[in-house]
Amino acid sequence: MASQILPLELIDRCIGSRITVILKNDREFTGTLLGFDDFVNMVLEDVTECQTLPSGERVKNKLQTTLLNGNNICILLPGSDGL
Amino acid sequence: MSDEASPPPPDGTPPPAPTQSSGSPSGFLKAVVGKRVVVRLVSGVDYRGVLQCLDGYMNIAMEQTEEYVNGVVTNRYGDAFIRGNNVLYISAGEPI
Repeated sequence: MASQILPLELIDRCIGSRITVILKNDREFTGTLLGFDDFVNMVLEDVTECQTLPSGERVKNKLQTTLLNGNNICILLPGSDGL
Repeated sequence: MSDEASPPPPDGTPPPAPTQSSGSPSGFLKAVVGKRVVVRLVSGVDYRGVLQCLDGYMNIAMEQTEEYVNGVVTNRYGDAFIRGNNVLYISAGEPI
């Protein structure tokens, strides 16, 4: 049987590299993953927040080290540099 | 997985305070207390001020707070308390 990789283990392997976090609403955050906790609250560094407006326009915003609340997180893309 | 000790507790109790390295959420929160932060709520409203304290639910107490709606200052508060369920992110307003 092939060895399994658990989801949180996959995120753990991503610590130190770029990751894109897609939220339940129209936002996504791309940054370097510094760490996370049991609730998948995430600490990111050199973050770009990207919000897609109803018009289709994308608004970007640069942030310093950020703690992202896990409540709104939907999808994680390890090794991604933004969509 | 990161250096957690136990899985999340049943609902109703505050999240545990596991021993974690500085890169993780509790380490970040310790590092950022007393510094200027940007707190964005789920509604999109920003609050910039000096972080006084917070807890495991992301409830936040801040001082010298400015409220930004669409990038424009709409209010100023000497002391602000934000209920944690509204918080989208806490971002350092200055390099840590």
